[in-house]
Amino acid sequence: MASEKPIGPRRQRVLDAIHHRQPDRVPMDFGGSAVTGMHVSCVAALRDHYRLEKRLVKVCEPYQMLGLIEDDLKEAVGIDVVPMFGRNNMFGFANSGWKPWSFNDMDVLVPEDFRTTIEPENGGTLIYPRGDTSARPSGHMPKGGYFFDSIIRQKPIDTDNLDPTDNTEQYQPLTEAELDGIEADARALNTGDYAVFASLINTALGDIAFVPGPDLVDPKGVRDIAEWYMLTASHPEIVHKIFERQVEVGVANMEKIHARVGDAIDVVFLCGTDFGTQTSSFCSTKTFDKLWKPHYANLCGWIHKNTSWKVFKHSCGASERFFESMIDAGIDIINPVQCSAKGMDPRMLKDKYKGRLVFWGGGVDTQHTLPFGTPQEVRAQVLERCEIFSDGGGFVFNAIHNVQAMTPVENIVAMVEAVKEFNGAMA
Amino acid sequence: MPLVKELFDAIVDGKPADALAAVNAELAAGADPIALISHTMIPAMDEVGQLYREEEYFVPELMLSGKAMQAAMAPLRPLLAKSGAKPAGVAVAGAVKGDLHDIGKNLVISLLEGAGFKVIDLGTDVKPEKFVAAIREHNPQLVCLTALLTVTMMAMKTTIAAIEQAGLRDLVKIMVGGAPVNERFAKEIGADGYGETATDAVALARRMVEPAAQAN
Repeated sequence: MASEKPIGPRRQRVLDAIHHRQPDRVPMDFGGSAVTGMHVSCVAALRDHYRLEKRLVKVCEPYQMLGLIEDDLKEAVGIDVVPMFGRNNMFGFANSGWKPWSFNDMDVLVPEDFRTTIEPENGGTLIYPRGDTSARPSGHMPKGGYFFDSIIRQKPIDTDNLDPTDNTEQYQPLTEAELDGIEADARALNTGDYAVFASLINTALGDIAFVPGPDLVDPKGVRDIAEWYMLTASHPEIVHKIFERQVEVGVANMEKIHARVGDAIDVVFLCGTDFGTQTSSFCSTKTFDKLWKPHYANLCGWIHKNTSWKVFKHSCGASERFFESMIDAGIDIINPVQCSAKGMDPRMLKDKYKGRLVFWGGGVDTQHTLPFGTPQEVRAQVLERCEIFSDGGGFVFNAIHNVQAMTPVENIVAMVEAVKEFNGAMA
Repeated sequence: MPLVKELFDAIVDGKPADALAAVNAELAAGADPIALISHTMIPAMDEVGQLYREEEYFVPELMLSGKAMQAAMAPLRPLLAKSGAKPAGVAVAGAVKGDLHDIGKNLVISLLEGAGFKVIDLGTDVKPEKFVAAIREHNPQLVCLTALLTVTMMAMKTTIAAIEQAGLRDLVKIMVGGAPVNERFAKEIGADGYGETATDAVALARRMVEPAAQAN
């Protein structure tokens, strides 16, 4: 299926930005992926603010409880990107057969296989992998909480006798039925109006959100987060084998996806592994170059040789020290551009990587300014970031990671309106 | 007692089985448990902290060394309890109400124990009243609060308020940490100190249990 539809202005400005051409205005993403979205409560509040049709918001990503941003809200906010997710979500079931669900005095819609129980002792909510309530729960939301965290279901580990395939159960060849679904989604989404952001190649190399196997009924291998981190230092040869298998399956899946959808996809989500912390990183650049870079290079190499897709990499925190290696490996786009972390000054980043790396994020600080600042402070920061990052393209506006629950809606509106203000000034 | 090189190296290199074997060999040879901790294990964890500050070590290496330290501590704990030896300080630590993230907390606990502290780990999603009860039960000098999320960090404030309301605030120093937390926030909520990294937290804890700090 080739991308033959005429390209509309929204998609065009994203294409311009990711090809380092100056777009007509700064493009914006919210809801394009599981790391560029908004909490369902924020989506509901924004719908109210813009006086959109009253309806329950769908939880499109149940792990972080992200809300689906539908076309009417996209229009009101000025979003230029549409998501294309795989068949199953983080807990391993399909986003279909919607039903009402309530939490924190809020009514939402969740998929039919979103099955939960309440912990009798403390009122927390437990969720089950693949909707299978006969399995051990894989996610836990504390009472009064806003999203789930993985329950660690770690069996005793014998690090000297690990079987790498135990850690690749989540990374399987796509079935024909799954490919049919992807093709159908691509046909529906590839209208030419929006840039298509696909999160379906399933190549998370050590992403800590996936390590516990929240979608698996009975996870084997190394599933404890701390044990995984230690494994990367103590047994890198095992980690290499896990990544090699993931890349092998990932490339085979991409071949099949590309045969079905061609260049209907504009941006592809590669991997969400975080390499930065607030002040430092999770490993040295030497370790990155040895343990991750060759595998990223293999994946990106195939993508760039065979498709027009641009490669999106998420890495929180002080990640700048890895950018040269990431560019070298073929990564085109970096997110969330956590400017509040050490060594992530926006001006420095733009000066150093202009024309070489697309900044998809960095628009406003979600740890301090957006949740706790005033609307004036939000506006000022958004205008400043747009000014810095938009020069010469290479920028898609997004907050730094998902907009979190309890963020005041007036601040979210201030963010949106500041982007419009900047774009008005730009036009 | 001189530094025991095998034990020191096993901790710095993050090898739990080697650390345990080295401690057992020393104990079998009649070594003093307190001397093993103060002359070898604490210096080893100090070295690990230094390597982390110099960015020779990162989170995985810190965790491995912490695990080696814990392995070495296992046979020593009952001996220390019997001897009545005093720790460098006593702390209760937990991720505040609503927060389930414990990697940072566990790292800080492991480094604090490596620095000779006794730490009571209250776990995650710890309600303010549980901190209050733990202070009453364990008489710590330090209370360590952590939160990873913007939606849970305000529970640090309610926890400090609960400690104050229980009349225990003057008995403890409260230190806070976690990704969204900073010095300004720590001051705003009435904490006594903020640790940006796990090794900063240990340095802060050491300062806070000094007699002069306790008197303030």
